[in-house]
Amino acid sequence: MNEIQQSLQRFLPELALTGALLLVVLVDCAQAAWKNAAMRVLTLAGLAGSLAFCLGLRGVSGEIWSGMMVVDPLGLFFKVLLIGASLLVALVFTFRNSRELHGQGQGEFYALLLAVTLSNLLMAGANDLAMLYLALEMVSITSYVMVAYMKGDRMSNEASLKYILFGAASTGAMLYGLSLLYGITGTTSLPGIREFLGAGMTDATRTTMYLVAMLVFAGFGFKTAAVPFHFWCPDVYQGAPTPVTAFLSVAPKAAGFAILTRFFFSGLATPGADAWDLTGSIDWPWVLMLVSALTMTVGNVAALTQTNLKRLLAYSSIAHAGYVMLGVVALSANGARGMIVYLLAYLVMNLGAFLVVTLIHHQDGTFDLRDYPGLYRRAPLLTVSMAIFLLSLMGIPPMVGFMGKLYVFAAVIERGPSYWWLATVGALNAAIAAYYYARILKTMIIDAGNEEKPAFRLATADQAWVAVLAIANLLPIFFWARIEDWARASLTLYAGR
Amino acid sequence: MTLQHYLLVSAALFALGVLGLLTRRNAVNVLMGIELILNSANLNLVAFSRYGTGNLEGQLFAVFVVVIAAAEVAVALAIVLTLYRLRRTPNLDEADILKG
Repeated sequence: MNEIQQSLQRFLPELALTGALLLVVLVDCAQAAWKNAAMRVLTLAGLAGSLAFCLGLRGVSGEIWSGMMVVDPLGLFFKVLLIGASLLVALVFTFRNSRELHGQGQGEFYALLLAVTLSNLLMAGANDLAMLYLALEMVSITSYVMVAYMKGDRMSNEASLKYILFGAASTGAMLYGLSLLYGITGTTSLPGIREFLGAGMTDATRTTMYLVAMLVFAGFGFKTAAVPFHFWCPDVYQGAPTPVTAFLSVAPKAAGFAILTRFFFSGLATPGADAWDLTGSIDWPWVLMLVSALTMTVGNVAALTQTNLKRLLAYSSIAHAGYVMLGVVALSANGARGMIVYLLAYLVMNLGAFLVVTLIHHQDGTFDLRDYPGLYRRAPLLTVSMAIFLLSLMGIPPMVGFMGKLYVFAAVIERGPSYWWLATVGALNAAIAAYYYARILKTMIIDAGNEEKPAFRLATADQAWVAVLAIANLLPIFFWARIEDWARASLTLYAGR
Repeated sequence: MTLQHYLLVSAALFALGVLGLLTRRNAVNVLMGIELILNSANLNLVAFSRYGTGNLEGQLFAVFVVVIAAAEVAVALAIVLTLYRLRRTPNLDEADILKG
């Protein structure tokens, strides 16, 4: 009884979201003029309440629900990030400023947004293979529906179809890996698995563990859009409604990294003094290093030739997953800190870029870079903000994107000379990325064209949110010490049994 | 019957599932391949639970997987149905407007 009460208390963020989700579905049944406004308010209230409960759990560490889930500072950091992403998406993207969502039913959107957020939180706290798989599938299934939101639209439908087939295949492979892992270790609990593997392995077990790791990585790679499981990403991001794309490019990806971290650090490694000691001396870093380097390179090189902005940002988000993976590769406390700082920066810079793209589409009805010339004259605020977001994505100081890159690169370099080649690949990639980001800016600012089109008329709220996101990219460097403290304090993973 | 027999059957099912996934053009057939993959993992879980580990965690996991598989197929079929409404075909090859 005591345990249930304590679990409930530590489960309040998720409960708040569940409550809001049910209420939204209920209100959606009403036939009243106020229902859209009510659902939006309910969604925002649910997310804000959940965020408040999260902040109330600071410093708490322990298992809940008989070890199915854990609450710990690192999980909490991810929860705050994930709720923050949903909150920003719900606030910034409305049915008014998105041409694609305009006129669609609103209830399902808010319900799905809350459902994805809820499952993202479950993923950030999963401590058992069954819970891990359930949360991952819940995120996936709800995202499939979100991508297919424009029912009569062939692109949206095709994107969702590709997403679901690819997702089902990779999570199926992952499940097969999990079942083998259960067979080897005899338990589904992550700490239990670590104990078993920590006690030593025979050669046969080690070989099987390689296979298991590959299969399981298919699921994580799919969620984080890492090469070679990234093929769905450009198509899905291009076909989905832009607000959904913006959301998917940040939240499920961050949740994927949360679960990846927990699986590798909590299930397969023991926290050492400086770096985590991987149990059973399996050579993980090489696999992860290769994936990270490939992810960056494939994403950036493919982005070079794109002219559709959504597709370009999709490839750029693949590349960014590669940078975040650098933090995982380092397998150290500093690496984990780099990863979460990078994800935090990625949230504001990527959402900002997608917001500008949405607003331009709202006015001009185009995602094509070739229609972007002359925007500097027609929409100075959007152009200047886009410049800030893109410079941040490039990693130019003093934007937050620079700080993210600084942390992950530093974490990799300090691991020693055998890691330096990876840092070099990362640096070269940053240079490639600078080219296609700068090309967007050049088109918007320098190129001539579209002289006859009228200036943008933006709603005050949209202008305000663009400005807020731009400031969120510029200002954090001035109170970096506090962010640093927060990130440092968040580095505890609950590892007990 | 030993554990090995079950594992062999499940590995065969997994391989068949992957084969179906890669070679079929009809979306419904591809979904059947995915079901095979999920069920091969289920067979693994239950067999390990019965012959290997001696606990029920695997059986429990398998029940949840069944539920997830049903939910996933429901969503997938809805999307395939929309594909059919929009293009009059269940063939995946013809869903090809997104590329590049």
